[in-house]
Amino acid sequence: MKESIKPPVEIRYQKELMALEAADTAKKPRNWRLSPQAVRTFILGSPKPLTYQGESISIRKKYFGNDALIERCIVTLAGNRGLMLVGEPGTAKTMLSEFLSAAISGVSTNTIQGTAGTTEDMIKYSWNYALLLAKGPSREALVPSPLYVGMERGILTRFEEITRTPAEIQDSLISVLSDKVLNVPELGDDGFLFAKPGFNVIGTANTRDKGVNEMSSALKRRFNFETVMPVREVSLEKQIILNEVGELAKENGIDMTPDEEAAELLASTYHELREGISSYGHRIDKPSAVMSTAEAVSVYYQTMISGYYYGDSSMDMDCLVQNLVGAVSKENKDDLQKVKEYFSTVIKDKSSKEGGLWKKYYEARKWLK
Amino acid sequence: MEKILRSKEMAEIVLLPVRHHSPACSYHVRKVIETYRPSVVLIEGPENANELIPVMVHRDTQAPFAVYYSYYDKTGQLSEEKEHYKCYYPFLDYSPELAALRTADELGICASFMDLSYGNILAASEEGMGLRKKEEKNNYNDDHLLSRNAFVKRLCEKANLRSFDEFWEKYFEIGGIYKDSDAWFSDLLLYCSQVRENTPEDVIRDEGSLAREAHMSETILQTAAGNFFKTEFASGVKEKLSEIQKSSDAPLRILAVTGGFHTPALSVRLRENSDPILTDSDGKTSCLSADMYSAPDKKKTPKKIKSQEQNVYLMPYSMEAADALNGYASGMPYPAFYQKVWERFSEDTDNCYRLTVLDFLVGCGKEVRRKEGSLSTYDEICAVQMADGLSSLRGKAQPGAYELFDAVLSSYVKGEYTIATDTPMQILRKNMTGNAIGKLCDQAMVPPIVQDFEAQCRQFSLKTGSTLETEATLSLFSSDRHRRESCFFHRMLFLNTCYARRVKGPNLQQQKDRNLIREIWRYKWNTQVNAALIDVSVYGATIEEAAGSLVKEEMKKEIGAGACAILLTKVFEMGLKEQLQSVYDIAQMLIQQDTDFYSLADALSHLKMMRELSSLYQSKLDLDLPMQLAIRKLISLLPSMTIVKEEDLGRCMDAIKLLYQLTKEEAQEEFFDILLRMQRDAQIQAGLDGCIHGILYGGGREDGAVVERACLGYVQGTKEQMKKTALFFRGLFFSARDLIFIGGQILHMLDTFLQQTDTADFMELLPELRMAFTYFTPREIDKIAEKAAALHGRSGKDIMNLREVPPDWYAYGKKLDIYIAGLIK
Repeated sequence: MKESIKPPVEIRYQKELMALEAADTAKKPRNWRLSPQAVRTFILGSPKPLTYQGESISIRKKYFGNDALIERCIVTLAGNRGLMLVGEPGTAKTMLSEFLSAAISGVSTNTIQGTAGTTEDMIKYSWNYALLLAKGPSREALVPSPLYVGMERGILTRFEEITRTPAEIQDSLISVLSDKVLNVPELGDDGFLFAKPGFNVIGTANTRDKGVNEMSSALKRRFNFETVMPVREVSLEKQIILNEVGELAKENGIDMTPDEEAAELLASTYHELREGISSYGHRIDKPSAVMSTAEAVSVYYQTMISGYYYGDSSMDMDCLVQNLVGAVSKENKDDLQKVKEYFSTVIKDKSSKEGGLWKKYYEARKWLK
Repeated sequence: MEKILRSKEMAEIVLLPVRHHSPACSYHVRKVIETYRPSVVLIEGPENANELIPVMVHRDTQAPFAVYYSYYDKTGQLSEEKEHYKCYYPFLDYSPELAALRTADELGICASFMDLSYGNILAASEEGMGLRKKEEKNNYNDDHLLSRNAFVKRLCEKANLRSFDEFWEKYFEIGGIYKDSDAWFSDLLLYCSQVRENTPEDVIRDEGSLAREAHMSETILQTAAGNFFKTEFASGVKEKLSEIQKSSDAPLRILAVTGGFHTPALSVRLRENSDPILTDSDGKTSCLSADMYSAPDKKKTPKKIKSQEQNVYLMPYSMEAADALNGYASGMPYPAFYQKVWERFSEDTDNCYRLTVLDFLVGCGKEVRRKEGSLSTYDEICAVQMADGLSSLRGKAQPGAYELFDAVLSSYVKGEYTIATDTPMQILRKNMTGNAIGKLCDQAMVPPIVQDFEAQCRQFSLKTGSTLETEATLSLFSSDRHRRESCFFHRMLFLNTCYARRVKGPNLQQQKDRNLIREIWRYKWNTQVNAALIDVSVYGATIEEAAGSLVKEEMKKEIGAGACAILLTKVFEMGLKEQLQSVYDIAQMLIQQDTDFYSLADALSHLKMMRELSSLYQSKLDLDLPMQLAIRKLISLLPSMTIVKEEDLGRCMDAIKLLYQLTKEEAQEEFFDILLRMQRDAQIQAGLDGCIHGILYGGGREDGAVVERACLGYVQGTKEQMKKTALFFRGLFFSARDLIFIGGQILHMLDTFLQQTDTADFMELLPELRMAFTYFTPREIDKIAEKAAALHGRSGKDIMNLREVPPDWYAYGKKLDIYIAGLIK
């Protein structure tokens, strides 16, 4: 594959997937690349490394927070209903759906990206008009949508941001999901595409963003819903930041090891601002901006890049706070004030009690303006 | 299973570890007793309940029930506070201890409890530990030591399971069905030994476990040695065992059923104290360190609490109370779910969990459909598939409670999981807890307090057999019998028995409906009433005694003068003459000590009401003294109330009005002087200012012109002050509403105020203005409206011709209200 900023999951974890496939002895649902047990191991990791072609391959835990949710997702996808991942922005819904698709179907790129401008033909099929005019309606002239491809090949179709699509367009999925057949009337008797085993749909939907549409209850009935919650433990959030930033750095050739202390500091800032209470028990005004783990990763990574290219390859607290300001003050001007107050109470106390990096972090509050 | 053979007496001892409330454990206990056929089954449980065993195994007794233990430390043996202690030992159909008792009974085998009596367990425990924890409900079989420690936490993490309960269900319940009993008990013993090794010794000692284990091993050894008469077994059991010993040369077979946490320790103690030819079923425990399990109890020998000083009764229990999730930690959660599993055990062991999960999915689905109407049969099919899929993914032979939860969450909850979409989960949790209530057979001993209750019901001809609510109307002041009956109902209410509720009548606590001379009560008896009475039996043998002791307990709490005066009204209603004087004394003392203005005002208003009612209730209490005391204290605190918070304004105004009424007899001038001083404070709260002006006007210390000037001050003040006019009017109308009808100045000022207020400010002030006018009667409001209309050149009749509001508008408003209230919920 050509060089890319973010290669798809099946490329990034190619070796892990191949090792799991080779060692997989459990029963697989038809057309699944891995058994449900192996899919679980791929996402939740395994303490025992696998040996593949003489190489020891360890399967790293890729999703933190709720193991039971992953198990429910896997079982849902093996059944007759689609899977709908809902939750606040930045709770790794998309990442989870990529993991599931890559492990189950071997491909995570069969994706419809939902927007307000998504039309029914983007969901079902459209035509190559040159061919259509030249040869008339035929399979050759048909441009298949990711849903069409999923049904034809028996693989998962991901539908990102489904609620950004107008409700009537979302509803074009209803009959496909219940009958598992797509009718292309232009192709006459050959126009029935029956879904191959292995086909299913993973939808993701935000619940807090502006500009999202309601889902009809008919469509809701075709899905099992899984609510992805923000990570509730600081230690897990820190681990996620470290893992994600480590991956990003590796992919982009940045030779710098993520600093654990800085990750903990950022994780606890995000966690406390999100929950409205500090580890010392201070009550905190919550900002209205989304304080997701994904945002924390991005703030950390930006600081890391600045340190790598423009600094001394260390995490600079001034830069971290500047990036934090950028991430927080997006929607509401009061948010910055809330972060300022957070620094003047919680971080102040922490800097005097914990010292070290916390002190530097507190000193960098001058950038909060 | 831990087997120990004794050489000298040749008695064979088998130790069986159990976890309280476990279907698989009960199943294996039953199997072991059936195959092993012991001579006697000894069960962990306070031995002062031995006489209750025949009732517990009686076929008419239905679980859930609990043994209720109580002890009143009259002589201060345990602590100087001389407290009341109580605890419960709940039994469900699938409790291994009950399974052991029932199986032994069916097979004609002697059975007995062997633990220290309740009082002695208390004596062996440190204050605040074990059964001496300060909790509302202490459970004898609290197994937190088995389920909550760092080892268990690590184990769950390693096994990828959410909690100990899920771990237990996977390996011991679902997995346990397919194991033979020997292997099952060996696994449990191994687990328990690990947990024990990871529990700090001081915790074990402070909770009284070492003393209990010493006593249990002593009982087992005495039994093995044939010294039955040195034990606390029921007399029938002692004789039967002697007969068995005499009639047969075969060694006595003792089966000891104890909580798994104690089994390893008992095993070590028995080996140490005997000369065993030891045989283990697997020899695994031989590696246990003896010190760890039988360390001498460093605590000095506790005092012995005599059995006669303790009470023990059997009481019906409820599934709700037995649910570990309600905080009682008495074993596994979700009792109704596991009850169903237990019932299915005998029908279809291999599918008992699967079928139970199906039952609950269908039951929950039906209820969700009824409440929300959107669940299809296909949802239920998907849920079953989810439960099955999850169980195979998680390596469980059948789906259990946790797969059931996941299935409902995944298939029944539509949309994001929030409080608004939580209904299916709520229904499931409720169903899994269940609402069954146990029943005792007729032979069960009736505790004195229940006997007293029944006697009083007979005396007042109250129905106890009916499950329907019955109504009783009592003429409080014309019939002595009715007054006594009312006292009985009030006492039952105070004891929290849920037996009777007052639907009408004077409410002295809230000072409502004081003019009523009749009380209407609705009462209904059910087994829970008896259970509640047994629950308070530790406080006395009669209802009057228990209510009296509970009043004393209330007085021990840190309460203010207000709360004490309310308690006094309750004592008054309950007719507890003995306590009346002591509560009165305490109230007087608290009035002296209390510095809280509102609490004192509360106390004063209740005392005033009681003084007014004293002739009706034939009370001889001298209430003048505490009232004078309260008045003096309130007057001295009054100056500090100038800047009262807006939410406290109502209470403060009530207090001032009360003081005005009560100081008429004396000290009124002093009271007025203080009010005048308060007025001079420029920071005074506007509402309070209005109220004080009204009072002073009423008392003749101020004429109308002064009030009008004060009012004008607000109306013509700067904007923020002007906005306070509404509040001022509220205070003024509260204490002197007649002012508006005298002259026209006040009304005129109100009119000016409204004219100069813009719409936004008016909307902001509207609630306050509405409050101000609530003190007028509808007739008075009409009169004010007429006068106001006249100010604008219109007659009263014009404003009466308002457009009629159609009835459907009201209907729509009401519907909207209900809808919004629903959304807010």
